[in-house]
Amino acid sequence: MSLLRVEHMTHYFGGLQAVSDYALELEPGQIKGLIGPNGAGKTTIFNLITGIHTPSEGHVYLDGQEITGLRPHRIAAQGLGRTFQNLALWRHMTVLEHVKMAHYSRIDYGLVGAFLGSRRRRVQEQEFTERSRELLRMLDIESHAEQLVVNLPYGVQRRVEMARALATDPKVLLLDEPTVGMTAEELRQMIEVIHLVHQRLGLAVFIIEHRLRFVMELCQEVQTLVFGRVVAQGEPEEILNHPKVIEAYLGEDWED
Amino acid sequence: MTYFLQNLVNALQWGSFYALIALGYSMVYSILMLFNFAHGDIFMVGAYIGFGVASALVAFNSLGLVVLPGWLLLVLTILVSMLLTSFVGMLVERIGYRPLRDAPRASAAITGLMIGIILETGNLALLGAQRVRLPTMIQSVTYDLGGVFITNKKIMIVLVSLGLMLTLHQFVRRTKWGMAMRAMAYDYAVVPLMGVPLNKIAAMTFAIGSALAAAAGILYGVAYPVLDPYMGIVFGWKAFVAAILGGRGSIMGACLAGFLLGFIEIFVTMVFPSTLRDLIAYGIIMLILVFRPHGFFGEAYSARLRL
Amino acid sequence: MAIIKRITSSLAAWVAATPLLAWLLGALAAVLLEHGVGRPLADLLGLPKVPVLFGMVLALKSPGLILSAVAYGTIIYIVPIVLITRLGAGVLNQAAAGLLRLNLSASVVIHLCLLYAVLHLWSDISDYRVLTLKLTLIAVMLTLSLNVINGYMGEFSCSHPGFMALGAYVTSVFTVAFFVKDKLFGPPLLPPELGPYFFPVALVLGGLAAALGALLVAIPSFRTRGDYLAIISLAFMFIVKSAIENLEVVGGARGLRSQPDWANLPFVFLVTVLCVWVINNFVNSTMGKALNAVRDNEMAAEAMTVDTRRTKIVAFMFAGFWAGVAGGLFAHVLRYVNPATFGIQRLAEVLAMVYFGGLNSVYGSIVGAVSINLLGEALRPLELFKWIIIPLLLILVMIYRPTGLVSFKEFNVRRLVSPKTPPGGDR
Repeated sequence: MSLLRVEHMTHYFGGLQAVSDYALELEPGQIKGLIGPNGAGKTTIFNLITGIHTPSEGHVYLDGQEITGLRPHRIAAQGLGRTFQNLALWRHMTVLEHVKMAHYSRIDYGLVGAFLGSRRRRVQEQEFTERSRELLRMLDIESHAEQLVVNLPYGVQRRVEMARALATDPKVLLLDEPTVGMTAEELRQMIEVIHLVHQRLGLAVFIIEHRLRFVMELCQEVQTLVFGRVVAQGEPEEILNHPKVIEAYLGEDWED
Repeated sequence: MTYFLQNLVNALQWGSFYALIALGYSMVYSILMLFNFAHGDIFMVGAYIGFGVASALVAFNSLGLVVLPGWLLLVLTILVSMLLTSFVGMLVERIGYRPLRDAPRASAAITGLMIGIILETGNLALLGAQRVRLPTMIQSVTYDLGGVFITNKKIMIVLVSLGLMLTLHQFVRRTKWGMAMRAMAYDYAVVPLMGVPLNKIAAMTFAIGSALAAAAGILYGVAYPVLDPYMGIVFGWKAFVAAILGGRGSIMGACLAGFLLGFIEIFVTMVFPSTLRDLIAYGIIMLILVFRPHGFFGEAYSARLRL
Repeated sequence: MAIIKRITSSLAAWVAATPLLAWLLGALAAVLLEHGVGRPLADLLGLPKVPVLFGMVLALKSPGLILSAVAYGTIIYIVPIVLITRLGAGVLNQAAAGLLRLNLSASVVIHLCLLYAVLHLWSDISDYRVLTLKLTLIAVMLTLSLNVINGYMGEFSCSHPGFMALGAYVTSVFTVAFFVKDKLFGPPLLPPELGPYFFPVALVLGGLAAALGALLVAIPSFRTRGDYLAIISLAFMFIVKSAIENLEVVGGARGLRSQPDWANLPFVFLVTVLCVWVINNFVNSTMGKALNAVRDNEMAAEAMTVDTRRTKIVAFMFAGFWAGVAGGLFAHVLRYVNPATFGIQRLAEVLAMVYFGGLNSVYGSIVGAVSINLLGEALRPLELFKWIIIPLLLILVMIYRPTGLVSFKEFNVRRLVSPKTPPGGDR
């Protein structure tokens, strides 16, 4: 049984078919990649899996349970963590608050605790803080814990997003172009971080990427999406030489 | 049936006030993505400026040097007041909106509200609490069309309003400045980079919106001559609602929604006691917005997100 | 210039070294002094009566008395406060430290008792002061509860006067119908002596009614944000007002009177403290911080397991509840309400207090409500011009500090009651 399974997923925006008959099988501990030219519908697929849009047709299963049509926070709480292509951080919140916030689904002190400040609440908030600091330490950004995210360098912001996604306690991590706009140094660090979460936490990872080199280095299997349709699927080397992929990427600076 | 037609005529007149004011809200919104909350009070200021201009013209007329006909007095009043009020609009933009261009939108809403209060109070301080009457410039003539009574004033009001709306439409479609405005409405961030001066366009938008509000104010004064400093509050907020109902930043939408609101209000009072007017009108508006959350012509910017 | 710099820096050092305890004791000394010698001193200085609002009203009414008013303020207020905070800082810092070691809650309660004593003695001088104080406390509740929606959650809600009206009317109907002989509702249904015990129940009912009303705005907010939600909330406000105007059972447009006089100062003070405490608790919990996440990026909030719909419902109902309670108190302080009280004017006032004081901040709401309210009272002799000065002030604040005076500042009770040690010195 695969950890994340998508079957016959099709989606229309108005009359436009954005994704057609998409399928995915992600095994535990696997790293898979999704590549494709701009506008191919890669982010749409993420949004469909994570429940931001409901697919017009098809099914999504996480760990054997159907999650199609659930609201995004339910899907996230069931173990699907994600990052966003254009950093979706909360500008008035500190790094620590970001990571604590991702524990929301585990809050059990209830409204009364929130309003009146019960003992249960103190204990649990303390737990959240400790666990968040642990994650920040792991990603080597604990020194920024009390800072507002807007004041941080881009590479650190990316890590905050990663820490926040990890704090939801995911089984599968979806990374939407985690290296976009990064310098070579930041890129190297990001590869390390992904290796780290993959090996230390044993997560399955599904990555959207534009930079083929990055995908080649990390992924065990790659899908290529063109106009909402998977045109090629296989090991990185196969994909690199696949005629459909070369055609799709023709004229693009795909080795940037 | 005649009762219905009679109300239809009244609704057209009532709606044209809302439509003219709503246009100002909508135009400013399309350029700056902000609502000018002082706009209702600019309508009031326009009406008072109209009162000043009309009184001066009537006094001049009574000197007997040249005797101008009533309709010419009215046309002059409207034109001069539109010009003067447009300066008020530009001043409001300069003081309350330009310094806040990069501030959170709510802050600009607050300055707008405060400028509105200042305009109301300033008016009270200048003219006192007494209400003033717009001088009569044209005599009322009533036509009986098979039981439906129409006055020349009503016809004039609706025609002038429609004329102004058409002129605006042509201006926005045909002229260089109109095109710049449309470009700015399309993309606020990029257009200034292409050599279109944002400040000038913003000032102009405020000027045009205010001029239209002044016209509405004087037309209102023609129909209901007694003016008071708080007349802008009721009208302003309702026209604002119409602007939203029409879809933010849509000129066409604002006009139609203005008329729609006029119809709702008049027909509600046709069926129910008039004290229920606001209750039912706002109830309908709330329902419309709940089921069509982006107005009639507004783009659904996040409707696709299922959050 | 050098002198000004030295003065400001020594002032800053003074403030930094003075614990809250010293300020409160200083204020206590000042109001005690006023009680003892306020009247004779006012006579001596040629003032017609004890200046009610620090002499501001008096100075505006009859400018000739400015000097006397200033002298009065200096002798009665400034001298004792300066003396106690300067001389007592050392001892009182130790006292504050001792209290804190003993128990945080005990320390907070003692501070609150002191604060209440100050307010009580100060307002004891005249009924006008009592009324102003009660209305200011109610304004703090209103401002803070609106800040939950407009500041913490970042929506532009205009429905607050509506929530307030719901609370005011439900509470009033309850108290008037059950405990008062009245034209509208006839003889009391329960013995009036029991009334005061039921007043909190009445307020809670009013709050709950407002919270239910808030659902009508909260549910559309699932799909709609920004301008459209602002209009929905505005429409809600007009609907409530208009509905009450048409409800002859509760007096229609003429209003509802003969509320019993139960909203005395200690009660209003207690409810306000409760409101500040609960709201502050909430916004500092992870559950409450979810409001900020929804404001700053709703999609990210959902992706991080935050139930945004629940968050919105809670925020609106919670804020509505406190606005309703504030409305109930308001009705019983004035002992008369009519629907016209809850219109655009009230909305502009509450919005002004929220945005003047500062978004996303408990301090900000207190600062906003207190300063706008006191300013409004102090400038009363200017009549019309008051409504030019206050808006101008607000425009200036918006231009130079667009999110308000004290925005995005955490209200930390422990830090507030902690002893202050001057920088670089240990006394």
